Amino acid sequence: MREQSDQKYKNINMKNIFKPFGKISKQTIIAMIALQVMATLLIWHTTSNGLIPKPGTVAMAFGKLLTTKLLLDNMLVSLVLTLKAMLYSIIITLFFAYTSVIPFFKTIAQFIVKCRYLTLTGLIFIFTLLTKDGSELKLSLLVFGIVPFFTTSFLAVILNIDKQEYELCKTLGYNNWQTLYEVIIVGKADQVFEILRQNFAISWLMITMVEGLSMSEGGIGSLLIKYNKYNDLTNVIALQLVIFLIGLCFDFLLGTTRHWLFPHSKLKQATA
Amino acid sequence: MTTHIKSQVLLEAKNVGLSYNKKIILRDINFCIKDIIRPEMKQGQVVSLIGRSGIGKTQLFKILSGLQQASTGNVTIHGDKNVQAGDMGVIFQNYYLFEWRTVYQSLLLAVKKNYDLKGKEDETIHQYAADFHLTEELKKYPQQLSGGQRQRVSIIQQLLKGSNFLLLDEPFSGLDVYVLEKVTELLLQVSVSDERKTLIIVSHDISTSVAISDTVIILGNEAGKAGATIKQEIDLIERDLAWKKGIKKEKAFIETVEEIKACL
Repeated sequence: MREQSDQKYKNINMKNIFKPFGKISKQTIIAMIALQVMATLLIWHTTSNGLIPKPGTVAMAFGKLLTTKLLLDNMLVSLVLTLKAMLYSIIITLFFAYTSVIPFFKTIAQFIVKCRYLTLTGLIFIFTLLTKDGSELKLSLLVFGIVPFFTTSFLAVILNIDKQEYELCKTLGYNNWQTLYEVIIVGKADQVFEILRQNFAISWLMITMVEGLSMSEGGIGSLLIKYNKYNDLTNVIALQLVIFLIGLCFDFLLGTTRHWLFPHSKLKQATA
Repeated sequence: MTTHIKSQVLLEAKNVGLSYNKKIILRDINFCIKDIIRPEMKQGQVVSLIGRSGIGKTQLFKILSGLQQASTGNVTIHGDKNVQAGDMGVIFQNYYLFEWRTVYQSLLLAVKKNYDLKGKEDETIHQYAADFHLTEELKKYPQQLSGGQRQRVSIIQQLLKGSNFLLLDEPFSGLDVYVLEKVTELLLQVSVSDERKTLIIVSHDISTSVAISDTVIILGNEAGKAGATIKQEIDLIERDLAWKKGIKKEKAFIETVEEIKACL
């Protein structure tokens, strides 16, 4: 009887995989992901020809890469640069996002948002003239590239603030500056981490481009360019895998830090 | 009729009107709330503002609370002071609280605005929390509270702010019978906590709000005229229907409710 009921439950669970808004158990999710990964690897293995390396070859190169000092050194260079750029970017973003509720700064913030459409390649020469060395050039280009995306995300948060949050402040007798502090600075502090998390991928994308400008300092980007130059596709894919995994680690780290510093953000997620 | 006198004017709305893009929402709103004095007891005022859905109750609520500017006329308190946002304690329909603040922090924000409680903030919060059965909830976030608890926190927050006026927007909306009873008890408790405490309840739940009020103001439309206005003001004390337990069963009360319904 119990076996029959278990079987029935499994069948329902399996059906839900292909059902819109279907709910499935954690075990089913794990099994499903494992199957999907295996299927992808199988397709990759069977379809790859001489030019595209097979998964096994990439896995070996990945293992080898992890043990080299070359990867560690370049990784550190890239990470330091990215973290520096993200720190400067978030400071600039917060300044313009917080002040965007003041009419004088609103237009500036809106202009920054539109700067997403500018290409960094077209600005390299100007930035070269404005900066002292390669390191400064890379950092300033990265900051210039990231800030519009950060600002776009944060302004969206501010624009979507529930009117009742402002009204509650007013009923408590707050003036406009106190309202700005409570609703935007304190109330949306957790969102800063969410924006960092969501836009970390953009910084990672740009790093390859900016590091190519000053190869002597190294970095994952310059390593990737070198491997590409010599058509070393196995190491390119292995390096991509490293970049992907670091991205996932940061995603997890920023998400966890957010929930730890702002417990209400976890509750909000649970109720949503 | 219960012995009482009505003394000074606590709140007055004079010729209040509201229009949006030439469309008249409210017009000629005139009423005043006087301090009710009963011998040997602290008796606050409870006024119900009743009207059909979409008539403009919430707009009038916002004007009374100072959150919205009237197109014409004004609302004054304590004589001739024009009402401003922050003068009134306001409890919104869904009992909104800052999601990023714990109950204690939310109450602290309010108590810090009350200069009479300076230096006694922590003590007062714990006292109110105990009175309203919320001691266990002080460290919780709003998402962790039940609807009833949220409502109590919302009410305490506005009470701690120190305003004598408390405006409540649809406080009985979506409550089950048990919670409804608790809420009405709570509001009555608040109304007798201070002589000058004045509750203005905006609601379309006629029976429940009338049962705890001393005055009913009916908002409605008049034939041939655009915009809602006050159609009738009922003094429940004169009808001997105020401050009585189990009033809902009395014939006179049922007749009054029917009279209000007919007026809407």
